[in-house]
Amino acid sequence: MNEPVIMLDHLSKSYGNVQAVRDLSLQIERGTIFGFLGPNGAGKTTTMRMLCGLTHPTGGRAAIEGAHVWRDRQEVRTKFGYVPQRFSLYPDLTVAENFRFFGGAYGVPGSELEQRIGRLLHVIDLEEKRNTAAQSLSGGMRQLLAIGCALIHDPRLLFFDEPTAGLDPVHRQQIWNLLYDLSNEGKTIFVTTHYMDEAERCTEVGFIEEGLLLAKAPPRALKSSFRSRLLEIDVEPLMPALVRLRGLPELLGVSLRSGGLRLYASEPEKLIARWREHWPFPDLRLLGERWVEPDMEDVFTAYSQGYHGVLTKIIP
Amino acid sequence: MKWLSFEAVASVAYKEFLHIYRDRRVLLLVLTLPPLFTLLFGHAFETGELTDVPSLLVNQDNTPRAQTFIDIISKNKTFAWRRGSPDAKDAADLIAHGVQAALVIPAGWNESLENGDPKPLLLYVDGSDINTADAVEGSVRQSLGDFQLKQRDSMIENLPEEVFELGKQLPVQIRKRFVSMMEMWGIDRKVLYNPKSRVIDYVVPGIIGLILQLLTVTLMACTIARERESGTLYQLMVTSLRRREIVIGKMLPYLVVSAFLVTVIMLVSNLHFGVAFYQWPALAVVCLLFLLCSLGLGLLISAFSRTQTQAIQFSVFFLLPVFVLSGAFAPLQQLPTAVRYISELFPLTHFCRAFRLVNMYRAGPEFYSVDLLVLFAGALITFAGAVFLLRRIEQ
Repeated sequence: MNEPVIMLDHLSKSYGNVQAVRDLSLQIERGTIFGFLGPNGAGKTTTMRMLCGLTHPTGGRAAIEGAHVWRDRQEVRTKFGYVPQRFSLYPDLTVAENFRFFGGAYGVPGSELEQRIGRLLHVIDLEEKRNTAAQSLSGGMRQLLAIGCALIHDPRLLFFDEPTAGLDPVHRQQIWNLLYDLSNEGKTIFVTTHYMDEAERCTEVGFIEEGLLLAKAPPRALKSSFRSRLLEIDVEPLMPALVRLRGLPELLGVSLRSGGLRLYASEPEKLIARWREHWPFPDLRLLGERWVEPDMEDVFTAYSQGYHGVLTKIIP
Repeated sequence: MKWLSFEAVASVAYKEFLHIYRDRRVLLLVLTLPPLFTLLFGHAFETGELTDVPSLLVNQDNTPRAQTFIDIISKNKTFAWRRGSPDAKDAADLIAHGVQAALVIPAGWNESLENGDPKPLLLYVDGSDINTADAVEGSVRQSLGDFQLKQRDSMIENLPEEVFELGKQLPVQIRKRFVSMMEMWGIDRKVLYNPKSRVIDYVVPGIIGLILQLLTVTLMACTIARERESGTLYQLMVTSLRRREIVIGKMLPYLVVSAFLVTVIMLVSNLHFGVAFYQWPALAVVCLLFLLCSLGLGLLISAFSRTQTQAIQFSVFFLLPVFVLSGAFAPLQQLPTAVRYISELFPLTHFCRAFRLVNMYRAGPEFYSVDLLVLFAGALITFAGAVFLLRRIEQ
């Protein structure tokens, strides 16, 4: 059975004259960790709201496991768990009470509920905090609790809106490990994020900007759509160099990374060969040059800025 | 799928009950204020009479007869007299004397009475509050009437023998009529529905209604607004709970708390003020429908407001006219017709009327069924409205 878990077919949403999502089509297969990547206001949240049945599409259609997300929203809501960006559990209720409420809300039978709560407390490692009020938990623990509550009805699909925003690296790692475990159990995971390093952790990534889907592929495929090599140079003084180089017509763009400058150019080999013979900026000193592997940020920059010159092929 | 899942409603009610239980300060307020308010309001409205109005008495006549009148009016409970100096020319300056009324017995009053050409007493009265002005004048008239009656009796007693001899010559019929003319003609008064004429019996439904309305509307108004503010509403909306399950589940714990409070207020009224309650089942129905209507109103405000602050503001603005125009403490008949139509929009108006019809008039359902219907319709409309507004979040 290869029916996609999530299917978007020319999905659009406009608020008045503003097109929040434009003609979005994509399919997500079972077991995928799909990273939905884009800047704030790109349409990530609107898309997720449509998938959750909280906003009706103004065009196209979307389905989860074959069920229409708006028309059958009551049915669809039992199929997924949702972890919002902002902590949205009840702070005055204890960990166990939050679980019990969401269990009841999703219609988990009472006989099974306590057993499930016990298992989930173990999964999110909050067994000792069982009777602690949610407001007394740390940020990371709250997020773990939110994930636990989203799992109470054992959904096959999970939506995460910026799951690690504002968390320390230890909890970030813990949450990603949890996501891997869930994925391993066969759950499909849909994550929105604007952290590029988080996109690397997904099995598939979709870029969205201004409501348009720019690309959708596994991270590796996206990176290989980049020209094999990316030129990075060390220059001094750094900031004047950044400004000057940005203005060069033969460069598509420049970005600063760990003290070096990454140059997006369609023919970087020729450019550096020419510079080796004649460095055109007497007030800047070229200290070094090297070829680096592009990371997700480079890929996203290239797609979102339309630097098609640095891409060997464009993945739609 | 069932129209309503009991488990779903129960889980929302459970959570909402925990919110109430955990918020200890509000809980304390909710449990202690209603009985306290009942005591306070109950005593405030215990008697409808005006007493101890600070008043100035200036006696310029200074005769035994004037003193007799002063003895009578001193016993009048309406006034707390203080004596002004007889030559005071500024009796009209009420604020300077710190009084609300001044009564001047003019010089030569006694003599004018003797001569059969009575001088009027002079009464200055603070007209800023119409009720006080009228009550003060009425009270002075009453004392003056008592005085006049006594004067007449003593005059008759002191009539010369000849007059009595002359009177005896009149036919019996005429004599009887003459004597009856000298007495006040009587009224045989039978007070119905509130035989002891106690204000408290009239006011109790007002107190119950007011306190409940205050609590239910404001508390309920905060519930959805709070979830909206904290972002939990969004989480609630993506669960498989239906809107009606959320609304009904949220209301249930407050219904239980309110029903408990009705009982407490009634107990205080009964034990402390001796107010009796009749037709329990009918009273229960009236209270239940009123509570549902008030809770629905709170929910509507809640679903409409963006924040808790807004919810409280809307509640206060709604409750303000209700206090004055619902007939909780004073009969609606005092209001002009146009305003009375507006009064009919408030649940409290129908509650007070129905409650009094049941408890004071001990009337049958046919007398208050319209009020019950209005309350029921109000509950339905507000609940449907709240569900509708919650749906609109999904647009």
